[in-house]
Amino acid sequence: MDGGATLGTAVAGRYYDGVTSRAHRVVLRVRDGHACLEGEAERSAPLNEIRVSERSTHAPRKLTFADDTVFEPDDRRVMDALLHETGHRDSTVVGMQQSWRAVLFSLVALVVVLAVGYLFALPAGAKLVARMLPATVERQLGDGVLDVLDRQVFKPTKLPASRRAELAQAFAQLAPPEDGAPPYRLVFRRSRIGPNAFALPSGDIVLTDELVNLLEDDKAVLATLAHELGHLHERHMTRRLIQGSVVAAAITVVVGDAGSLVAGLPAMALDMHYSRDAEQEADDYAAAMLHQNGIPLAHMERLFTTLEGLEKEHGTMPAYLASHPPSAERLARLRERAR
Amino acid sequence: MSAVFEKAVPAAPTEERITFSATGSEYFRIWIVNLLLSIVTLGIYSAWAKVRRNQYFYANTKLAGSTFEYHGNPMAILKGRIAAIVLFGGYNLALRYSLPFGLVMMAVVAAVMPWLVWKSLQFSLHNSSYRGIRFGFRGSLGSAYLHYLVLPIVSVITLGFGTPFVHQRLKRYQHTESRYGGTHFSFDATVGDFYKTYAVFLGLIVAGSFALGIAAAVFGGVAAVLSGAAGASGAVFLLIIVSYAFFLCVGWALMAVLQNLIWNHTQLGTHRFKSTMTWSGLAGLYMTNTLAIIFTLGLFIPFAHVRALRYRLESTAMLVNGSLDDVVANKGDAVSAFGEGAADLAGFDLSL
Repeated sequence: MDGGATLGTAVAGRYYDGVTSRAHRVVLRVRDGHACLEGEAERSAPLNEIRVSERSTHAPRKLTFADDTVFEPDDRRVMDALLHETGHRDSTVVGMQQSWRAVLFSLVALVVVLAVGYLFALPAGAKLVARMLPATVERQLGDGVLDVLDRQVFKPTKLPASRRAELAQAFAQLAPPEDGAPPYRLVFRRSRIGPNAFALPSGDIVLTDELVNLLEDDKAVLATLAHELGHLHERHMTRRLIQGSVVAAAITVVVGDAGSLVAGLPAMALDMHYSRDAEQEADDYAAAMLHQNGIPLAHMERLFTTLEGLEKEHGTMPAYLASHPPSAERLARLRERAR
Repeated sequence: MSAVFEKAVPAAPTEERITFSATGSEYFRIWIVNLLLSIVTLGIYSAWAKVRRNQYFYANTKLAGSTFEYHGNPMAILKGRIAAIVLFGGYNLALRYSLPFGLVMMAVVAAVMPWLVWKSLQFSLHNSSYRGIRFGFRGSLGSAYLHYLVLPIVSVITLGFGTPFVHQRLKRYQHTESRYGGTHFSFDATVGDFYKTYAVFLGLIVAGSFALGIAAAVFGGVAAVLSGAAGASGAVFLLIIVSYAFFLCVGWALMAVLQNLIWNHTQLGTHRFKSTMTWSGLAGLYMTNTLAIIFTLGLFIPFAHVRALRYRLESTAMLVNGSLDDVVANKGDAVSAFGEGAADLAGFDLSL
């Protein structure tokens, strides 16, 4: 900064003294490193005690003194000339905002960061967090869910107790493919939502009568249970919860207040990708578990072909299939694996 | 304060329109740079981004030759955001996993909400200034609880019939408790005005639904006779689109009429306001904004933001009675500048 000299440019404008809203006509000059106002109000302050508002194309740049009083220039360009003479520098962020090249770079960087975060960083991070979370916390969180479902969706099972015991025992005898298989509880229910099986964070694996009857093959039922155990083992519920929350938060940051309609759809689409990933992991777990216990993968194929039949039969997808990849795709993946 | 205004010459007021000089392309650049910084800092920078955005918008809002200024402290905004995330995140998490715990969290949110709204009203007004004078909010915490907890419950209990009354009370509270320096805003729209407005729109919705129902029956029947089931489903599809458009337009019209009602009955000292929002203006704005955002995959968002703000601001004018020079700062406002006193006490912001 030029310390001693008086700078040439004089800026006409208004000074507001913070006491009343009255505009005082003044002229601003810079002298000896001080901003000096002359006219209807007189004052002088060192430049380094004055805050200059950020540069933008149409708004005049205001000076704010330490006591919250304000100088507002009449002409934006004259003010810019004076600021240039004093050697005032914009912050890096303001410089970037004013340069299309920096903006284009930021846009590309933004897309890359979002894509890498979505495809790699977030799934990996969620997996890590879910692993560190003690199983007991997860269990407690999921305690009430089965009660709610029992009241709203499920009826007591009609499968004979002997049949239930048979299936439970057969599954209990299978060795898990990896160490650290999670504890689980097998729950039989009759449902209003058709053939279905799913795992709850509480460790409950729910199997509906309709699915058992539809499959007509106990080993295919075991494959289904292995798939659900895979969900528990991989902590999919917790991971999806973490991922979903972060995606929702990121969308809020990006979209802001542009409206829920515009924001809701991408959130759903983004979650589908994670959902399919989780199903594939559970399929892999189930396939490994069958292999470990010498059960041919044909039984798992049978599960998928049955589900595929269901998909073709109903034009609309039953609830079980909505969040899963198409069975044909899962079948193809399984056959690839068997080869 | 009133003595100051009695000096004002009782001549016809001059109309001062608000002008807004922000542009979509400049805000696009601000938005992209700040979005990148917000994302890479895992959202922490978003508080600074908000300050920068508000400073840009305020500086480009001009009334009677002077522009507005935003003074929000990013740290206060960050604190507010963290609190909001903990509160609402905890609420969503609780509701997902356990109903009783979820209900407890719901009660906690309902109990804390009025305090948060109160704090953030104080924050946003205190951090806005015009001609070197700060705005402010004086409403008490007790009346915040009345207006943001008790009255919404009344609205629900009366099955919505109390809504116009509640809306009037809420706006009256917000506007009469706001001040510019030591001068207060006032609000003189009556409960009757709100009921009349809501009644007209209720009538419009009932009549419209009735007409659409008849049209559905007639056109569906004719189309079914002429071209079978395919024709009928085509007619139904068309009617769904027409109904959707109708209800959206009614919604925009209600928004415009209410906005005009509220601002045409608001005063600052002896100065009145005039609002000239129209339903067609709002409809054109929101339809083009939504379509453009979808077709540009979101890149239009900052442009849409500027367009919406411009429409809202530029349809408002101030009818200046005498001079705007005479407003005196509220005692204590000047001392609290730059992080001392009230600014830190009110240091909490919830609004996005």
